[in-house]
Amino acid sequence: MSENIHHDDHGHDDHHVNYTKIYLTLLVLFVISVLGPELGIRWVTLITAFGIAIVKARLVVNNFMHLAWEKRIVKWVLATSLILMFLMVAGVAPDVMNHEGNNWENVAAKAEVERGLAYMAGYGGEEEEEGEAEVVVAAGFNAEVSFGQICATCHGAGGAGDGVAGAALDPPPASFTDPAFWETRDRERIKTVIRDGAAAVGGSALMAPWGALYTEEQLDQVTDYVMSFNPGNE
Amino acid sequence: MAHARPIATTRSATGIPTPRLAVWWILASEVVIFGGLLGAYLMHRLGHPEWAEAASHTQTWIGALNTFVLLTSSFTAVLAHQAAEKGNGKQAAKFLGFTIIGALLFLVIKSYEWTTEILAGYTITANNFWSFYYTAAGLHALHVIAGAIIMGFVAVDAFRGRELHRVEIIGIYWHFVDVVWIFLFPLLYIAK
Repeated sequence: MSENIHHDDHGHDDHHVNYTKIYLTLLVLFVISVLGPELGIRWVTLITAFGIAIVKARLVVNNFMHLAWEKRIVKWVLATSLILMFLMVAGVAPDVMNHEGNNWENVAAKAEVERGLAYMAGYGGEEEEEGEAEVVVAAGFNAEVSFGQICATCHGAGGAGDGVAGAALDPPPASFTDPAFWETRDRERIKTVIRDGAAAVGGSALMAPWGALYTEEQLDQVTDYVMSFNPGNE
Repeated sequence: MAHARPIATTRSATGIPTPRLAVWWILASEVVIFGGLLGAYLMHRLGHPEWAEAASHTQTWIGALNTFVLLTSSFTAVLAHQAAEKGNGKQAAKFLGFTIIGALLFLVIKSYEWTTEILAGYTITANNFWSFYYTAAGLHALHVIAGAIIMGFVAVDAFRGRELHRVEIIGIYWHFVDVVWIFLFPLLYIAK
């Protein structure tokens, strides 16, 4: 675009772009951006898909939208927008892209990655019906492991309400090993609280709903596991 | 008051015609809207290796076909602008008509694509990948619909030789919609 710079102050109507040539260039770049990634080489994909997207966008913005001949203030307005956008993305990137830090852990994101990878391992990326996929995930599901990853954070690995993250909570997390706890609980209530949170039965909102994480079958297994802490059952 | 003409369309501190400055401001806000959405998508995509499985089900050749349609409609939009600059309203209206046809073709192809995907069980609630997929492509499709409708009004005026400067304004907007798709295409269809 460098040869066009001297047009800058000549108003808007005296530039001569060969639109057909730009269009044909765009088509050639488009074909490359589709064929390049077919090779399956990672860096070729990055360059042909995303590198060429930037080149195509520049061609359109400069020649079709005539930004190359536009007054400088327009470029500043757009640049400000772009910078603010990148600033926002950069600001939240550490939280979104990492799933754990010094003293925090994104349990839900980790669980989602784990479930997704288990699904991929089960099917090797083959196309399958949704329903069957859930069965496979359920088969690879272990209520004790899930309790250890999610519930134990507050309720403790042994269910005694002594998890690290629970120490500061008010009211404190329930202890499943306390016989008094079980005097007012039945299986249905435990399952409801796991699925919908304790607030759903008038309890503390600190016990979050976890229903989105489990299938119905997995929910039953986790409920059974929590029930197994009841000292009265022994 | 002898002159009823509104001042806003005649005064310009920047030296840029007010309507054109206005459309650039709109696009500046669009940059943040689409940029934020695509940025969020990209961050989640990089943090979630399991999305690759979901992404492998998008239909590359349909996305490619739509890329071709939008690129071509951008070309006809800029030809409309060229005709309008020469004062040829009828010619400009004709090219805008081609662009509208391109927009409709894009939407027909997209409807077919989404229908096959939804019937296969890949709905907006299937998982986070599909949520982003339908949100991003859907927001873009709404821009295509809005652009096509406005272009219809501009084309009718242009055909009668009126308000020819609007041909350039709607064109700038339309090219932006094309640019957004240029980035959506590799993000949703190519990177697998």
